[in-house]
Amino acid sequence: MKRALTAALGAATIALPAANAVAAVEHSAAAATAPGKTVAKKTVVKKTVSGSAVNADRWGTVQITVTVQKTTTVVKGVKKVTRKIVDIGGTYSYHTDRSQYIMSQALPQLRQEALQSLSANVSMVSGATYTSQAFIGSLQQAIAKANQV
Amino acid sequence: MTSAVPGVRRIEHVMGMPIIVDVRDEGVGGGGLDEAFAWLRSVDARFSTYKPDSEICRIDRGELPLEDAHADVRAVLARCEELRRETGGYFDLRAGPDGALDPSGLVKGWAVDGAAGILEAAGATSYAVNAGGDIRLRGGALPDERWRIGIQHPLERDRIAAVVESRDLAVATSGAYERGEHVFDPHTGRPPTGVLSVTITGPDLATADAYATAALAMGRRGAQWTATLDGYEGMTILTGGRVLFTQGFPAAG
Repeated sequence: MKRALTAALGAATIALPAANAVAAVEHSAAAATAPGKTVAKKTVVKKTVSGSAVNADRWGTVQITVTVQKTTTVVKGVKKVTRKIVDIGGTYSYHTDRSQYIMSQALPQLRQEALQSLSANVSMVSGATYTSQAFIGSLQQAIAKANQV
Repeated sequence: MTSAVPGVRRIEHVMGMPIIVDVRDEGVGGGGLDEAFAWLRSVDARFSTYKPDSEICRIDRGELPLEDAHADVRAVLARCEELRRETGGYFDLRAGPDGALDPSGLVKGWAVDGAAGILEAAGATSYAVNAGGDIRLRGGALPDERWRIGIQHPLERDRIAAVVESRDLAVATSGAYERGEHVFDPHTGRPPTGVLSVTITGPDLATADAYATAALAMGRRGAQWTATLDGYEGMTILTGGRVLFTQGFPAAG
C-alpha cells in the first residue's frame, strides 16, 4: 500500500527540553517511599560498582563507575529497600596524547549525555557516536550491578 | 529503570565499534551471548574492509572470484545490488570517493539480524542488540514492557531528539554528524545538504540501515521518499531543526 506523500509526512520541530541539570537519578526498588512514622530500623550503605571496560573505538577504553546509596528501613517487620545513584564517574585508558586529550574532553560530555538518557528512561540511543555507545553500555552494566547491591 | 534489571548484558568491540547485547530473559545465560559475539567476529573476519585477508578485500583486489566467495558474501553483495536499484542508486556500495568495494553499510545490520536469530534460538524473547547506534530489539526492556530507544539529537550531543517505543523493531539512524558515516550522494560525489539525520524503523535492520543511508544521501527530498517505503517508517531532521515523520513512525507519545 503506497501512502499519499504529503499526507504521510507529519512535521514538528525538535522539542528542546528545559535545561535540567540532573545531579542524581533515583532508583527505587520499593514502590512506596513513605517510611511511616515509626521507623524501627534504618541502615544506609554506600557502595561503588563498575561496568566492564569498553573499547571506545580508536580513542581508548572507558569504564564507568556508579556510586549507589542503599537505604534499608524496617517498619513493623516490613523491609523496604531504596537505591539511589549518587555519583557517576569513570576511568579511561588511551593510546596516544591526542586520544588522551579527546577522552579527557569527552568524559564530562559523555557523563551529561548518559544522565540525559537515564532521565528520558531510554535503554539505548540510535545514532549516537561510538564513544557514547561505549559509555552508555558500560553505564548500563554498572546500573544493573548497582540494583543488586 | 525503577527496579532490578534481569538477564545478562555484554559489550565487545567488534567491526570497529562497541556492540551491546542486552538480554533481559532470565535463564538464557552467557552461552547465547558467546555464540552471538562469535558470529559477529566471524562476520568481521569475512567482510572487513580493513583486514587485507578478508574476502571483501580479496574480491576488491581481484584475487577472489565472486563465484568462489562464501555464500554469505555472495548473498550480501546481491542484496546490496538489489537495494542500489531500489533506491535509484542512492545506496551504492561503491559510493565512497575512492570507489572501493564497501558493503559495510549493509553488513552491520545484517550481522545484527543474524545475532538476533542466534539469541532467539537460545531462547531469548526480550533482548536488544546495538551495533554503533543501529539497534534491533524484541520483547521488553524488562521489567519495562517495551524498549525505549532515544534518537540522537543531531546538533546537541547530550540531547535526544525523539524516543521510539516498541516490542519488535529495527532502528537505524544515519547522520551527517557522525564520524565514520561517510555518506555521499553517488550522483554528485559530494555529501548531501539540507538534512542532518534520517532514522528508519522496520522489521529488518540491514534494510532499515540501507534506507537510512539512501534517504540521507538524497538530501532534502529523502523525507518524501521515506513516505513511499512499504513496511518501514522514517523520521528526518532537516537543517534548521524541522522534523518530518512518516505517518506510522513509532514515536513514544
